[in-house]
Order: sequence, then C-alpha cells, then structure tokens
Amino acid sequence: MTTMELNVSPLGQVEGDLDVRVQITDGVVSDAWTEAAMFRGFEIILKGKDPQAGLIMTPRICGICGGSHLYKACYALDTAWGTYVPPNATRVRNIGQACETLQSIPRWFYAIMGPDLTAAQYSSFPSYEEVARRFAPYVGTSYQTGVTLSQHPVEIYAIFGGQWPHSSFMIPGGVMSAPTLSDVTRSTSILENWGRQWLEGQWLGCSVDRWLENKTWSDIQAWMTENESQANSDLAVFIRWAQEIGLDTYGQGYGNFLATGTFLNPDLYTNPTVDGRNAALQSRSGIYANGQYYDFDQMRVTEDVTHAYYEGTGSRHPWEGVTEPIDPAEGAKQGKYTWAKAPRYDVPDIGYVPLEVGPLARQMMAARPDAADFQDSDPLIKNLIDELGPSVMTRVLARMHEAPKYFRNVQRWLKELDLHGEFYVKPTEPSSGKGFGATEAARGALCDWIVLEDGKIANYQVITPTGWNIGPRDANDNIGPMEKSFIGTPIENPDFPVELGQVAHSFDSCLVCTVHAYDGKTGKQLSKFRMGGG
Amino acid sequence: MTSVLWFQGGACSGNTMSFINAAEPSVVDLIVDFGLEIVYHPTLSMEIGQAAQDIFTPYATGEKEIDIFVYEGSVIEAPSGSGRFNMFAGRPMKDWVDDIAPKAGIVVAIGDCATYGGLPAVPPNPSNSRGLQFDRGGKRGGYLGPDFVSKAGLPVVNIPGCPAHPDWISQIIVALAAGRAADLALDEFQRPKTFFTSFTQTGCTRVQFYTYKQDPPSFGEGMRTGCLFYEFGCRGPMTHSPCNRILWNRQSSKTRAGHPCTGCTEPGFPFGDLEKGTVFKTQKVAGVIPKDEPAGMDSGSYMALAGLSRAVAPKWSKEDMFVV
Repeated sequence: MTTMELNVSPLGQVEGDLDVRVQITDGVVSDAWTEAAMFRGFEIILKGKDPQAGLIMTPRICGICGGSHLYKACYALDTAWGTYVPPNATRVRNIGQACETLQSIPRWFYAIMGPDLTAAQYSSFPSYEEVARRFAPYVGTSYQTGVTLSQHPVEIYAIFGGQWPHSSFMIPGGVMSAPTLSDVTRSTSILENWGRQWLEGQWLGCSVDRWLENKTWSDIQAWMTENESQANSDLAVFIRWAQEIGLDTYGQGYGNFLATGTFLNPDLYTNPTVDGRNAALQSRSGIYANGQYYDFDQMRVTEDVTHAYYEGTGSRHPWEGVTEPIDPAEGAKQGKYTWAKAPRYDVPDIGYVPLEVGPLARQMMAARPDAADFQDSDPLIKNLIDELGPSVMTRVLARMHEAPKYFRNVQRWLKELDLHGEFYVKPTEPSSGKGFGATEAARGALCDWIVLEDGKIANYQVITPTGWNIGPRDANDNIGPMEKSFIGTPIENPDFPVELGQVAHSFDSCLVCTVHAYDGKTGKQLSKFRMGGG
Repeated sequence: MTSVLWFQGGACSGNTMSFINAAEPSVVDLIVDFGLEIVYHPTLSMEIGQAAQDIFTPYATGEKEIDIFVYEGSVIEAPSGSGRFNMFAGRPMKDWVDDIAPKAGIVVAIGDCATYGGLPAVPPNPSNSRGLQFDRGGKRGGYLGPDFVSKAGLPVVNIPGCPAHPDWISQIIVALAAGRAADLALDEFQRPKTFFTSFTQTGCTRVQFYTYKQDPPSFGEGMRTGCLFYEFGCRGPMTHSPCNRILWNRQSSKTRAGHPCTGCTEPGFPFGDLEKGTVFKTQKVAGVIPKDEPAGMDSGSYMALAGLSRAVAPKWSKEDMFVV
C-alpha cells in the first residue's frame, strides 16, 4: 500500500481562497481536508448596526450570489419585524432570485466546469476533439456564447433592482421599485431571447417543454438519441463525455441532503413568519438522510467551531452564534484548519450530521411526496440518484435541470405582476425581535439569523452554501460533505489530479485552491504537478 | 500583447462578476480580439495549485514583468500586521502585493475594497482591511503608501464602485493596453476623471423632481414620482460616478429603479458606518437641512434654493411620472 498527501493551494475557480489537502492511498483519495483561507468578519461588523445594515452588507459577502443574500436578508427582517409583503413584491423578489440563478447556471458551466472537461489528461478519449472545440476556455464555440449570453438574465434583475451585482432593492415590506409596462415587456423579451438562443438553441437542442417531459434516466437516454438537434446539444455532449471520462463514478459524498427551499408563494406568505415558511415554498425545503425525508426546522441547525479558526470548541444555534477569530497560526496548534465553521443539522433519531446542499439537495426535495398544488414536484433527479447514485455528473445535471424550470417560473411571475397593485407597505419597526430568512442560491441553502435589541442588530449570523459543503470536521470528527466527496476519487496521475478539480467545481464553492504533493509516509514533497490545462 | 495578472484579496468577486457582464468589449472580445493576455485570474483561469503558482511567481520574483496588475478586494493586515487572515498560495496575500505591485507596469485597483478598503473596513474592521493607496474615509496612503508608483511612473489607478461597472473596468484596461496611459487624467482619489467627474445624478430620470424638491411618498409604487435625495438618503447629487450616463447591465441604474444612491464610488461608503437610523434615510440637521448637501452648496444656499424650488414647483411635479 502506498500513501501520499497532496496539498492543493490555491484550488482555483471557486470564490474566495480554498486549499485542499488529500491523502492518497493506492491511487484513490482516502482522506481530505478543505481549508478556507480568507476572513473578513462581516458578522462582527454587523453587530450594533442599523437593523437594515444586512441589506447592504450581506450581498457583498459574495458577488456571485449577492441577489440571493439580499433575498434572505430581507426575509430575516420581514420575520423579525412582522411585515406585510404584497404579493407583487414577492413576485419581483422571486424574479430577482431566479434571474441571478439563470445567469449563474451557464456562467458556472462554461467558465468553471467546462475548462476541466478539456484537460489534456482526457486527450486520448475519442470525443476529446469535439469537447475541446466547444468548451475550451475563451475560444470554445460554446464557451464564447454561453459566457457572453449569461449576462442577459441579470439585465432583468437590473430592470427591477437597478443593477446586478450588489443591489439592495428588496426591503422589509416589499421592494423599492414600481415596474412600468415597458419594464415588463422588456424583461419578457430579454428572457425569451435568452431562452431561444442559449437555453433551447445551444443547451437543450429542443423546446423547454420537450425537456421537461423527461422524468427518468431512461427518458434522458431516449431524449439524447431522439433527433440530431438533441444529440448535438451541449447537454447531450456533456452527458456522453461525463460517462466517457467517468464523471458518473466519483464525487459521491454522503448522499444526505438539506435544502432550505426558495420562491415564496406570493399569496401564501404575505405575513412572513419563521414557522409559516415551509408551507409557502414553491421550491421545497427538507432533509434527506439515510433514505428518509424530514421537514426542515431552522432550530435544529448548529455551527461547530472545533476545527475552525475561532475561539473555543463545540457548537451553537446561530441565534446564539459567536464569531471570534483567532490567529490561524495559533489555531493550527489546536487542530483547527479553516475559516469555515462546520454547520450541522440535528436529524431526528440520527443526531447532528453534515449535509450536502445545492442543486442535488433541492431536486431531491422536489421529488418528495405530498407536494401542494403550487409546489414544485419533479421526480427526475431523484431517479438519477436512485439509478446512478450521486456523482460529479448527477450534481452537474441537477444544476442544469433548473435552467428550464426557473425559466418557466420567471415567465409566469412576469405575467402575474399586477402593475397597478402594491409593491411595498411600510412596516412598523419593533426595536427588538428575532428573525430567520433563507433562500437557495444557485449553489445551495443560504440563511440569515438576526437578533434585534434596542433598535440595533444584537447578533447576525449567516450560513452560506459553501459553509455547509466545504465546512470542516466537527467535534465528533465527522468530516464535511466536500471532504467526504473527495474520498474514493481515483487520481490517475498525482502530478496532474484533475479529478480533484472536477469534484470541487461540481459543488461550485464560493471559494480559490493550490496543489503540493506530499508522500504520506515521509512527509516529503513530491514533484510539482499541473492541474487543468496541462 | 498586453499581459494582465488579476488577484483577489479580501474580495467578494463582485467586480469579477461585473466584469463578465461587459459587452463592448466583452471579456471574450478582450482576449480574442484585443490580444489581452490574462495570465492568471482566480475565477477564469483553469490552473490550480503548483501550476497556478508557476504562472504568477515569476512576476513576484522579477523574472518576468506584468503589464497590468489588477487587484480586487482589500489588503488584509490582520492579525497583528501578519496578513494571516488572508492566505494565498501558502503566503499572506499582502506579501504577494508587496512583491508584485512595484514590479508591475501599471497597478489598477478594481472596486471599493481595493481602492479604499471598502465594506470589510467598516468599524471595527476585524480584518484590518486597507485599500492599495487609500484608507476608508479617503486618507491617502493605504497599504502601499502615498509615494507608491508603478514601473510606468503612475500611482495606483483606482476604479471604485461596489462593484465597479464593467465598462469602467474594460474601457480603462483597453486604454492602458492601447498605450493611452498618458491620456488618463486622475482626480484626487486617483480615479479616471473621464468617469468620475460627473455626478451619479447626471442623467438621472428623477432630476426634474430634484429641481422642484418633490419627494416620492414611499418605496414601491410610491417611486412612480419624486427625487430620493430629500428623504431616502440618496447621495446622487454628491457622488461622482457615471451610473446614469453608462447604464447598469445596459438597462437601468439604482436611482432610476427607486433605489437611493449609497455613494459607493466615494471613500466614505457606506456613509454613517451603517449606524442606527442611517440606512436609506436622509440625515438632517435641525430636522430640515440635509447634513450632507449637494456638492458645492452650503446650508444657506441650500435653504434659499429649496424655498424657491417648492414655491415655483409646477403641478405635474407633484404627480406620478413613471406610470404604467
């Protein structure tokens, strides 16, 4: 048995700075540590500030999903203040949230995931030439149009919110804007044009309706060969390539998931409360652990700092959460190795466990039985998980499957907008209270917990999807979901471990990673290797 | 071929995301048509680990010279000046800045954090974040110090904004790549004057309501009329940016959409440090006079103009304009 250790720093194409350390035994990853390498302390800055400070601060935590940060920060205040939110305002918020994700789906696929697919390591596979022609960075035929056209969905965001990224146009009680007829017609034409050019024309090779008829993996296989247009779509090329190079065989992770859900029903959530949230979600929340579904309850969420660069050990619920950074050099002596706290969820009968968040998690909840009429009910990705198991490929497919679904949603909300109705009702501002707001950023569950006292923020805690996925070990030494996903990954060439990039990028962590190779026995650094373009 | 090296320190990647929204030229145009060589960018480059280090290390050691060094995000000094709150490729990011900036042809700060320290530098500034050549509030110096010049003899070229507009970024990079550095006139905060001389209010669709001192009744449907300066904390009349000349995402701007300008291209952003009562509310003296007056006015001239404006306000200025 040969064991060695790789230290990847920076692991790029993630937002922020991420280092990954893996131990490789007989060519397969046997253990892993994810290390977030940057700390700004937004939760500390928010303490003692104006209650609405989070609307300005939290979108700036991440410029990739700032609209999602705004969406949940606003609901945290809506629940703390007990606002009335007119249905139109909820529609506009939903349009903003969905358009940010519609931008992110192609931008992530072509700019983050696509380049890995063209790594030199795969050049001996039969389809390599076709894949490189389409997906090579900057020059690939699909890369150019995919990245450039990804700007258009956020044009709609700008029409309602002024700009993307970093607007703060969602406010407790509604939204700042009052759309006109031409705002809606213009948004509709931008959406339709993007749908025709990229989503149907380039990605699916068929109508959105035709794609949404697919309910199972065998449906997808039949779809792939139904006609030339579908067979030549970027999606079909990706699926064939993923199977050719084995992306369907690794990156599994725990197979346990958490979604906080998103897209509040405009008519069912006019008086936002923490307890009333689950029943009003179009894209449902929930937990899927050890083959069972459970309702999501924010009171069961904790963050553990045993292995994170913060004072102390153990875990707390975010309303009681503290953020006291320590010098990483000191932390390292206490077994701490990252800036990410470890979020855990207390699953009934199972206890505190790490859970994967993201598109796979959302689509697992979409397949949960007993959906209300207005709720998304969709068996496709669960069927892929049941048939193929979680993997890099299924994670990518879950993400991409949301493009046609969200496209349909935005069409509908635009149609439903009552331009003569209310978009805002001024709330009263109680000086104390607690709030919880959540959504689904493109890359997973995103939540804020706020405590107000004396008309100021007494505590503010944010748990990001990246926190859930790349968080470290906890007090019980349960490893984080992405750490788990690295385990079992075959590393064909330790001098060129492109497989690690594939796994990390399939999670689309809002984080950047470096690779040093160490021999597990001697601790000696192995030869330098290249990852990516070769 | 102009080479560009792009690093992110205490950053959210918002300026990178904004940059990818550029249309004329687009990011792909810049590379394919304008011959810009982005040697490394943390989001766009596929190299990771040692391969990435092999690319950027020669610019730190001086083996190679980068034409344009773009820095996004604050320079993080915590804890105790060590910079260990922001490690990159095994070293504090600030050490990479120390090595690369003086050896680069031109240094460009993209966004508020790189320019002034930005949001992470709001008190208590837990990461001890600083801008490259300014600190939050506008004191010249920053991380690199007041006397810093790059190889081309220029101080840091600042393109602030939270985020910076994609066209401000791409147009300045194209101008520098095309050898037009000599045409680049900079203001007191080292911002290109071509973008940062006019006001956010310049071109705002609400400017007629400013003239006649008419407020919107509320957010939401109330925004069908009125100017946001008087009650809603809008800083359009005293913030330098072309947000209403060069529209966002080719569509709109914050103020057009009913969103008060937060002054994000200025060193004081966020104004009032987000303290209680400062968010989306005009700060006033004696309940009447705005604490911060439109650029170039004092309270006397402001009161005289406001009185006159209200007195002569025509009937239409009290009615909705941005109607369905």
